[in-house]
Amino acid sequence: MKQLFRQRLSTHLKEMMRYLRLVFNDYFVLALLFVIGGLGYYYSNALKQLHTGLWWAPLVIVGILLVSVQLGRFATLIEGPDYVFLLPKEAELYHYLRSGFRYSVSIAIAIQVLFWILLMPFVQVTMHATTTELYLLLASILILKLTWLNTDFARKYHLRQSWLASRFIFRLLVPVIALGLSVYINYWIGLIISLAALLASYFTRQNWANRSLDWTTMIDDENSRMHTVYQFFNLFTDVPTLQGSVKRRRYVDGILNRIKLIPRNTYLYLYAHGIVRDNEMSGLYVRLLVIGTLFLVFVKGALLPIFLSLLFVYLIGFQMIPFYFHFSDNAFVHVYPITNRYQLKSFQRVLLYLLNTVGVVFAVAVLAVNLATPVTFIGVIVGEVLEIWLFVYLYLPKRLARSERTR
Amino acid sequence: MTLQVSNLVGGYSQVPVLKDVNFDVKDGELVGLIGLNGAGKSTTINHIIGLLTPFRGSIKINGIGLNDDVKQYKAQIAYIPEQPIVYKELTLKEHLEMTMLAYGLDQDAAWKRAHDLLKLFRLDNKLDWFPDNFSKGMRQKVMIVCAFLTNAKLFIIDEPFLGLDPLAVNDLLNLISERKRQGASILMSTHVLDTAQRYCDRFVLLHDGQVRTEGTIEELRKLFPDAGDSLNDIYLTLAREGDAS
Repeated sequence: MKQLFRQRLSTHLKEMMRYLRLVFNDYFVLALLFVIGGLGYYYSNALKQLHTGLWWAPLVIVGILLVSVQLGRFATLIEGPDYVFLLPKEAELYHYLRSGFRYSVSIAIAIQVLFWILLMPFVQVTMHATTTELYLLLASILILKLTWLNTDFARKYHLRQSWLASRFIFRLLVPVIALGLSVYINYWIGLIISLAALLASYFTRQNWANRSLDWTTMIDDENSRMHTVYQFFNLFTDVPTLQGSVKRRRYVDGILNRIKLIPRNTYLYLYAHGIVRDNEMSGLYVRLLVIGTLFLVFVKGALLPIFLSLLFVYLIGFQMIPFYFHFSDNAFVHVYPITNRYQLKSFQRVLLYLLNTVGVVFAVAVLAVNLATPVTFIGVIVGEVLEIWLFVYLYLPKRLARSERTR
Repeated sequence: MTLQVSNLVGGYSQVPVLKDVNFDVKDGELVGLIGLNGAGKSTTINHIIGLLTPFRGSIKINGIGLNDDVKQYKAQIAYIPEQPIVYKELTLKEHLEMTMLAYGLDQDAAWKRAHDLLKLFRLDNKLDWFPDNFSKGMRQKVMIVCAFLTNAKLFIIDEPFLGLDPLAVNDLLNLISERKRQGASILMSTHVLDTAQRYCDRFVLLHDGQVRTEGTIEELRKLFPDAGDSLNDIYLTLAREGDAS
């Protein structure tokens, strides 16, 4: 069983390395160096302005460490068919899972240490913490993370006492209490609380380790973990294994129901419903929309907002293009008695709707911040109208015709 | 007595799908689990293979419950799911090796058996192919080969006939008969009632999460003298009755 895990881990790492190589290409590394350098410079400057006794400093520390404790999940590397093929090996699966646990712990420790190092100067400046206290804080977050992972381990079994796998208790409640007490009262108390939680969670292991496995939860957990990993890589490159997951999103029904049910609208119906419910597409759209809006709210300058808003409109539109072919593999669209004359028209309509929404949101954001500089907000509005029109009616048909040929 | 399900109450969330289910499968017996869509067949099976935990009641295989000894309980089961489920990144050969590994089978003997089975289902020239790219029927055959490679005492087979070609259906039935003679018990859920009537020793008729009735075909005929002779007729009468009441 340990052998099986080792085998899976090596396949897994190989796959991750392949993606990481794609993500960290030369340009990205260069850009990253600049960003890290810039942020480091900003951080060191900001530290000089800080002093002890800031009311919000402890809150920031607790908040950041709380986030860092959530990072790094229990990697079981379990696959869907395992519940059929490994059925008779279930009792020995504990050893397999323990190997996974150790691997996950090592990664989680690295993440915690990284966050701790980044946060260390801030804690020192704002809290006047001694070296011992800093190490106590590190020990606390490591122990909290270990408890967190052990809870995730327990979750994979059919438990008799379900509080052992309670995410609320071990992921939120205990860390908040322990970190809060550390920062506000005494680092030793925080450590003791964390240690108590760890012992409570660890001593029950014998109780659940020989109970039956909750395969459904285990497989779902692992799939959702891998999905997050792939989603990250998908920002930089195409991930073929990423199967689109679908959400109902009833609140958009009002808009979707406005589509008239006539044959000409078949593709419109498909594209509109598809983009809204496909998590990849709608997620990408919403993420870029939110990031773009935030940029526009915080960025100052006469021309920069124009440039940024045009860039984000282009990015969003560009990411939506592949969805044109989303239904091409579906036999039904080829069986339906419809011509695909309206396919492009429908796609253009959906894209126009989406990009217009982006345009309006951006324009409102820019208008609210740059009311004093008419050049900026008028530039944004005119630029967006032109760009969206060019994108949807000139660029998109050309681009699709080219992709159609190479498909 | 191989499989004993007693007073089983269970389901996926808090709402029970199964309400007090009782039945058993004896050594060397093929029991057909019959019911409409949503009657609780797959839920029952998921409880037996330990995917779900019962709210109440117990499931024992040769006297062992899941929480008495997970290892012994599970080692006795071979399972063929309704939807064939295979590893994307493993070849057919590696699937078979995985099964041998998991059930701790002797490699030489198992491979001998595997080759017979592969030949039977005409998969012997596809050992280096990826089952993930197979058709549903062929993936189903992969599941069958893997299951019948083992020396399990209890075979759980969920709707095996859909997607299989007639020859494969016949071969599967022969395999089942062979295992029955060797003393294994088989629980099979299916909608193909005339095949079930010919091959199953006994039937458990599920309706709305309860066992409506169980017995051999003669016993069922005696219970429902007006319904007709075939299992199909009896079942249709019963299902309509169940909906009316």
